[in-house]
Amino acid sequence: MRMILNRLLQAVLVAFTVGLLTFIMIRLLPGDVAYRIAAGRYGYDVVDSAAAAKVAAELDLNKPAIQALGLWLYDLLRLDLGTSLVSGEPVWDELVMQLGHTLQLAVTAIFLSLLIGPPLGILAGLNRGGFLDRGLMLVSTALRALPQFVVGLGLIVIFGLMLNLLPTAGHTHGSHLILPAVTLALGLAAVSAQVARDAMVDVEQSQFYRFARTKGLPEGQVFTRHGLRNVAVPIVTYLGVQFIYLVEGVVVVESLFAWPGIGHALVHAIFGRDVPVIQGTALVMGLMFVALNAAVDGLCYIIDPRRRDA
Amino acid sequence: MSTLMKVQGAAVHGSGGRLVEPFSFSLEAGRPFTILGETGSGKSLLAQALMGLLPDGLTASGQLFIEGQTLDLSVPGVQKPLWGRKVSILPQEPWLALDPIMAASSQVEESYRFLRNEKTNQARQSADRDLQDLGVAEAARKLPGQLSGGMAQRVAFAAARAGGARIVIADEPTKGLDIARRDEVIDLLMREVRAGGTVLVITHDLALARQMGGDLAVMLEGRIVEQGQAADVLAEPQHEYTKRLIAADPQNWEKLEAEPSTSASCVLSATGLGKTRGGKRLFADIDLAIHPGEIIGVTGPSGSGKSSLGDLLLGLLKPDTGTVRRADGISVHRYQKLYQDPPAAFPARATLKQSLADLLALHRLEEARIAPLMRRLRLGEHLLDRRPDQVSGGELQRFSLLRVLLLDPVFLFADEPTSRLDLITQQETIALLVELARERSSALLLVSHDTALIEKTCDRTISIG
Amino acid sequence: MTSLVSVQPFSVRFSPRKTLGLAILAGLVVFAFLPLVIGGADPLKQSLRLALQPPSSAAWFGYDHLGRSMAARLAAALRLSLGLALLSVVTAMVPGILLGVLAAWRGGFIDRAIGAVSESLLALPGLLLVLMLTAIVPDNPAMLYLGISLVLWIEYFRVTRALARPILQSPAVEASRLLGFGPVYILKRHVWPEIAAILLRLGAFGGASAIMAVAALGFVSVGVRPPTPELGLMMIELLPYYEEAPHALLQPIAVIFLMVLALQLLAAREKPGKERV
Repeated sequence: MRMILNRLLQAVLVAFTVGLLTFIMIRLLPGDVAYRIAAGRYGYDVVDSAAAAKVAAELDLNKPAIQALGLWLYDLLRLDLGTSLVSGEPVWDELVMQLGHTLQLAVTAIFLSLLIGPPLGILAGLNRGGFLDRGLMLVSTALRALPQFVVGLGLIVIFGLMLNLLPTAGHTHGSHLILPAVTLALGLAAVSAQVARDAMVDVEQSQFYRFARTKGLPEGQVFTRHGLRNVAVPIVTYLGVQFIYLVEGVVVVESLFAWPGIGHALVHAIFGRDVPVIQGTALVMGLMFVALNAAVDGLCYIIDPRRRDA
Repeated sequence: MSTLMKVQGAAVHGSGGRLVEPFSFSLEAGRPFTILGETGSGKSLLAQALMGLLPDGLTASGQLFIEGQTLDLSVPGVQKPLWGRKVSILPQEPWLALDPIMAASSQVEESYRFLRNEKTNQARQSADRDLQDLGVAEAARKLPGQLSGGMAQRVAFAAARAGGARIVIADEPTKGLDIARRDEVIDLLMREVRAGGTVLVITHDLALARQMGGDLAVMLEGRIVEQGQAADVLAEPQHEYTKRLIAADPQNWEKLEAEPSTSASCVLSATGLGKTRGGKRLFADIDLAIHPGEIIGVTGPSGSGKSSLGDLLLGLLKPDTGTVRRADGISVHRYQKLYQDPPAAFPARATLKQSLADLLALHRLEEARIAPLMRRLRLGEHLLDRRPDQVSGGELQRFSLLRVLLLDPVFLFADEPTSRLDLITQQETIALLVELARERSSALLLVSHDTALIEKTCDRTISIG
Repeated sequence: MTSLVSVQPFSVRFSPRKTLGLAILAGLVVFAFLPLVIGGADPLKQSLRLALQPPSSAAWFGYDHLGRSMAARLAAALRLSLGLALLSVVTAMVPGILLGVLAAWRGGFIDRAIGAVSESLLALPGLLLVLMLTAIVPDNPAMLYLGISLVLWIEYFRVTRALARPILQSPAVEASRLLGFGPVYILKRHVWPEIAAILLRLGAFGGASAIMAVAALGFVSVGVRPPTPELGLMMIELLPYYEEAPHALLQPIAVIFLMVLALQLLAAREKPGKERV
């Protein structure tokens, strides 16, 4: 119960922070904001000072800052995100499309990373100091020392340009998903493999694991009943931290692969100083982060019975 | 009487040579076997060699005969098939030995399922029955984190025994337990003996060895120095070390002569002290007047609030009711405390020399006072350059004593000061503590779970709980 | 007896891994700052006839697409990254540690208040916060610095608080108080040594994230603007020429890799589960 409340509070905080920052942005924007926005909405040819005044009134630019901030946040509360300064479309409509693309990418990446990272990490942890352990250590350290966009660049150069196997940009075909998703997944897997490896080592050296073995249980049962369940707890808990990297990675990777998701839109909006879109995309990304964390909370609740009596 | 297990020439080798000398013995049905020795004597290594649990880098040699089979101890993993089925191994710290995210009964049930091939339902019933037999039926659906220490002990016992082995190996089963809990463990072990099985106990605890009876072997520096029937060995020890060990048992100490304080004045007095913790009333209405040079013992089971009483008197805790009054005109720094776990009572990353120098500087004390005190406490100068974790527990407790003595205490609260020390070190430490307190007319409040220790040492005793 | 009042030298022993990390970092620092001492090419000076020239004995690192000296640009970009990282880490470390100790010491309202502020900043993923700050005042490395510090201090705060709390409640501190020592001593002898022991780890870790963040922002063209040399920006500029001049693209990649790798080696735990943090 507390957990849910905490996440709700976090969601409100995200909305408040994003709202506050974008409000400051709109106040600091160079030039006559109202004029520019009006131009964006009606086109530069038809814009006049009357239209600009109308926009100024709409954005409360002529009201005292505190009052305007109140109204700005009130709009946010009603989920009225306004219209894009660039396209003139309602921000909501664009967000819905973009969120779909981003979720497709993010979910594929998480799934792929869980397929690669934890199994390799657990195997490495079981054979501590072995070939796999050292190799995995080397690869994951190297991967973590490379920014995600460099990994992405490498994949583009190798699979897209040199081998000409996969498309490097766009989203029309399913194969477009592969490179960006793999880029994100590799970064996530590098971390989760190390978390899983350390967790496996800790569990294997724990007194309860040793006791399970000296009770006379077959090795396989010891591993599945006491090993896997206990290793899963830190892996899932750490997923929450990893989502920070995921959200950040989405910004970079979508830009690199021209994947028309939220991150791509955010970067474009910042470029074009499209404040309503910045607000909308940042808000959605922040809320996505909160929602993913809430999902992790739920998963922890299921696999770790200790949480239930806390 | 039938022999359940025979050990021939079991030894342990490290990279630097032999750590445990070859030892042969046999375990008879209905007759416990105890190996007694201090920390570092090699007794646990011997047990680990027999169970096949030696740490990496150590190897065993010798042979093990069990039910017509002969096992070569130098082959790693050769004991594995015995685990649970022929030999059950009791965990040292039952709380840590239970899987933290699995309900208690499941951890018993799995042995029935996978070792005795019972169906899930049947195994569950068997597990619940075992827990009920041990008086912890209510623990069945709980997680280990929700169990008390005593309940965890019983659950772990049930889990270890569920495979049906007749031989139980228990390495330090009473580590850190008070007397009541220790008696419970002995009772659990004796059940096995009475049922026609046998128990191999490895311990430093003389009282445990005495109560188990059966056969006893005494180990010193990797070698068995004496063995025989427990009653005989303990009554008439032959080896010099065994004699010292037995003499160091508080039960065998000479009673110190009580020296009732002649002074009428009090260094500390308390009236109507009461304290509640976690909804449980620890004690109420304690009146106490402490005179210079008096040695007062406090006993009681663990969790009874012995230590809290001392902390209340020192002002480290606030009483719920009552007041504590100190004598007028005495510096606050002359009321001091000795801690149960000496390494936890020093700044962890400073050398002892540094810590002492800080104290000298703070109170503008003469450096020359240190050397005679160190000689008195039998502390070598070379120890000064070490950090707290680099000296032995006994040495560090003597350093704690040195540290407080520099401030000329009038009242010293010693909170289980020797419960982490070996018997012989304990005797030396308590003797020094009492001697120095008397000599300097400092009152001493000595808290211990060991009633014999308090009885032999103190002028008067307060019992709590 | 030797004098008691002598201070033990503060000794740190480095594992091979840490030594390697330190060596790489030292090499990069020398490479970055040597041009300032002995002089070198101007990182902004263009000379189109040299465009995309491969490395030669005269210019070991070759030239970029505008004929600017790669060596000079890499050095300048390194100075920017390392400087920004160092500045952010130091800025974040001081208040983070002070507030962490304060929260652990006083507990209660102060603890909860600082905790709540840090939680609310963490609600938004770090890069998103930095991104929005740079959007408010574009083209300004100061905003990058502010944003990164704002995200980083939380880590120091949390670690310090978690570390200091058990120490302050330990028998060792109780004993020191009974012996008459005051708060300054307790901070100096009990709390600080434990924090100092993990300071390097935390600093290196923070430095690595700062460097990654700066590069990521440069890469999506919302960080520093051209022609300022910045590693992420250089990569995106050189990407179109990867076929003619792979050496040019690989250089900033290698530099950032080495830098983050060095910091990660410094930050690595010696053995899993040994340290508390």
